Amino acid sequence: MSAQKKRNFKIEAFKHRVDLDPKYAEKTWKVLEHAIHEIYNHNASGLSFEELYRNAYNMVLHKHGEKLYSGLVTTMTWHLKEISQSIEAAQGDLFLEELNRKWGEHTKALQMIRDILMYMDRTFVTSSRKTPVYELGLNLWRDNIIRSSKIQDRQLNTILELIHKERTGEVINRGLMRNITKMLMNLGTSVYQEDFEKPFLDVSASFYSGESQQFIECCDCGEYLKKAERRLNEEMERVSQYLDAKTEPKITCVVEKEMIANHMKQLVHMENSGLVNMLVDDRYEDLSRMYNLFGRVTEGHRLIRDLMTSHLRETGKQLVTDPERLKDPVDFVQRLLDEKDKYDKIIATAFNNDKAFQNALNSSFEYFINLNSRSPEFISLYVNEKLHKNLKGVNEEDVEIVLDKVMMLFRYLQEKDIFEKYYKQHLAKRLLSGKTVSDDAERSLIVKLKTECGYQFTCKLEGMFTDMKTSQDTMQGFYASQGFEAGECPTLAVQVLTTGSWPTQSSAACNLPAEILGVCDKFRAYYLGTHSGRRLTWQTNMGTADLKATFANGQKHELNVSTYQMCVLLLFNSADRLSCKEIEQATVIPSQDLKRCLQSLACVRGKNVLRKDPMSKDIAEDDIFSVNDKFTSKFFKIKIGTVIAQKESEPEKQETRQQVEEDRKPQIEAAIIRVMKARRVADYNNIVMEVTKQLQLRFLPNPVVIKKRIESLIEREFLERDEGDRKLYRYLA
Amino acid sequence: MHKSGRGHRDKVQQFMAITGSSEKAAIQALKASDWHLEGAFDVFYSQPHIRTVTDSRHLEELYNRYKDPYVDMILVDGITLLCNDLQVDPQDIVMLVISWHMKAATMCEFSRQEFIGGLQFLGIDTTEKFRDKLSYMRSELKDEQKFREIYNFAFGWAKEKGQKSLALDTAIGMWQLLFAERHWPLVDHWCQFLQVRHNKAISRDTWSQLLEFAKTVDLQLSNYDEEGAWPYLIDEFVEYLTENGIVQSHQN
Repeated sequence: MSAQKKRNFKIEAFKHRVDLDPKYAEKTWKVLEHAIHEIYNHNASGLSFEELYRNAYNMVLHKHGEKLYSGLVTTMTWHLKEISQSIEAAQGDLFLEELNRKWGEHTKALQMIRDILMYMDRTFVTSSRKTPVYELGLNLWRDNIIRSSKIQDRQLNTILELIHKERTGEVINRGLMRNITKMLMNLGTSVYQEDFEKPFLDVSASFYSGESQQFIECCDCGEYLKKAERRLNEEMERVSQYLDAKTEPKITCVVEKEMIANHMKQLVHMENSGLVNMLVDDRYEDLSRMYNLFGRVTEGHRLIRDLMTSHLRETGKQLVTDPERLKDPVDFVQRLLDEKDKYDKIIATAFNNDKAFQNALNSSFEYFINLNSRSPEFISLYVNEKLHKNLKGVNEEDVEIVLDKVMMLFRYLQEKDIFEKYYKQHLAKRLLSGKTVSDDAERSLIVKLKTECGYQFTCKLEGMFTDMKTSQDTMQGFYASQGFEAGECPTLAVQVLTTGSWPTQSSAACNLPAEILGVCDKFRAYYLGTHSGRRLTWQTNMGTADLKATFANGQKHELNVSTYQMCVLLLFNSADRLSCKEIEQATVIPSQDLKRCLQSLACVRGKNVLRKDPMSKDIAEDDIFSVNDKFTSKFFKIKIGTVIAQKESEPEKQETRQQVEEDRKPQIEAAIIRVMKARRVADYNNIVMEVTKQLQLRFLPNPVVIKKRIESLIEREFLERDEGDRKLYRYLA
Repeated sequence: MHKSGRGHRDKVQQFMAITGSSEKAAIQALKASDWHLEGAFDVFYSQPHIRTVTDSRHLEELYNRYKDPYVDMILVDGITLLCNDLQVDPQDIVMLVISWHMKAATMCEFSRQEFIGGLQFLGIDTTEKFRDKLSYMRSELKDEQKFREIYNFAFGWAKEKGQKSLALDTAIGMWQLLFAERHWPLVDHWCQFLQVRHNKAISRDTWSQLLEFAKTVDLQLSNYDEEGAWPYLIDEFVEYLTENGIVQSHQN
């Protein structure tokens, strides 16, 4: 109580000496001891913090810290023993609750005690290196309660039992659990780990081991994975709800091991529901789940990937070697594209666009596409179908998408030079018959090929387009220069093809009919007039003609025919009946082609403008042909020409392949020379390796062929064997 | 200058007569062999750079004897006559060795330079000397290095002028001849294989590599290396041998 009046403050030294009451320490302690009791008996409200603090302070000051400290230990321990008994006495469910409650009380008491004894904590405890009060309190709790023999096991078992109950579907008191585990954590990480976590993990492991065994016997793959996923989520939720966060990776690891890793192989190979079935049925959800779950385990993804690869290779192999499929090239390619789309979707949707899976997909495709040596031809035929006006025909935007997809297949081809050969043939047919769906689409594909394979691949193809354009200009110039009246002679449209850019076809020239010879010669004269030093040869196996026909029954039709067909038909302007032999003599068309030509004119319903005697399908030398005066068709314009590109016959295929093999020889030699020029000396294996690398964008060279080329080069003295080591080859400058 | 005793002088004379060498060379050789005639011959003949002086008149005579009446070359008739004089069969392999020494361009003909130059080198200017040299020349075939040279020479010599490769029939004939001297058990299989599977001319590389093959690869082909940069014909030959069970295949 300070006086009401104002005073000047003076600080005086302690005037009176403090009594060294020998019983002082004991007395003070008694006060504190009493206080502790009261605190534990929930009677703290009657205490004066300030007084207790002062007492503790004085004790320490007068060097009685030791007494205070040990007194504290004794008192607390006594109380804890009491508490322990009360907890032990709790029955059944109340056990944990009691434990929890007492713990709460204890910590509260501890706080108060610590506050009171704070001076001791800061001075005596530090200098004598004793455990600080709060920590001391925790340790005493640990030793007397948690680790007491009657409580320790019971506590653990109770907790584990509750968790087990929850796993089997019962609801438990999570708040209580949380408090208990928090308590253990507060007592120290090692307490938490030894007294709870480790046994928890062990029990969980055997629980999941048993459960997974059960599931695997009665569930199919998809169901099992769902269950596994559910359990995994459960455990993670459990951790977040009432376990320490550090337990999460450990428990998930247990579940992953027991439920996934131990049964991976069995799951993936499960009959009727395993990976293969999921892939076949496009079960994106199941696949995604599998991907995510297996991703948690080492080698999990590898397992999926390997099985997917072998399945894909197997299906792919069947696709390309099935004889039924091979009958329709366009369908063949379409199926390949569909398969690619399917797997692209699977990888994007279910496998998270995983690059490793993409690579597996690519390598599988590369493997089986090249199992069929006709793949390049078929792909070209597919492109042909998409770009050809008369056929299915797709609109421009779709064409672009289709072409991009085709380019993907193209990249897988090992023998790209064979594709080039067929592509050239088909493109030539499309250009010359004027049937390409869109010039832009054609050029766009060529650009894509150029990007993929380099300029050399496409320069000739571009030459073809140039020729077409130039021919248009030439025709304009021609007609401008002639200035003649329409109707005077047949209208001529000429395409001038540069040899070398276009696919080579041996053409035996046939006799052109008189009706058109005039204008043909005029053109030849005009062209050679403006381009001296060139040679023009009519390619009679490639042209078309539009003829106006009047039949004896009065029917008028316009016929669109090939050049050969025109030559044959015009003969009938001056003769009624002609034998096959006579026709051959007059037109000089090669007999194979003539036979096909006559068949197309006389043996096809709806287009039989000629009549054949006898009516058989085969053409014999003595068969007599005449105009079919009874010919009728509901169409005015009739197309009889045979120009559409088709799958090659067996002998044609052999010939094409032979040509390609021949073309490869100089390419291989050029590559060998390049390699040897750079290296000067090399052995056989190195040469093969380098040459293969150089040519890989076009084809895969056969090592035996490379050897033969080397020997040919030795003979022509480009290379020699090294004198010292016969295994080395040397470049001869 | 030693005083040569009478016995020595005789020997020197004999030596000179037989080898056609100079007196100096004769004395050298005899001294080196301690005045034993046979030893002296060995010494003399194993020193190829000892040029014996040949009488160019004799050489001309010899050449003219064999030369064709219309052309300045020795052709088939001349060679037949030569063989007669030497008492050897025209198919005898020693003719090949002779051609090799002469560096003859083509079989069945010798140019003036080839003939005379070759004989000069060999130290021959009479038919007798020629005959005497024959056994020596046959022995040269036993020398590894010389055999290889002769073998490789044979390719250029046996092929048609202006051709790069050797016709198969000729090649087979030459191989039969050569591998009779230096035995190679697979030669018959090789020739058969070529006739059945190849039926085309033989390149120089194949020719020369075949000798290496015969020398290095054993009869069971156990040390045949697929990566050994052998010509492809030889690779095919190995395949042929294993296919037909002539040799057991090895899983390398």
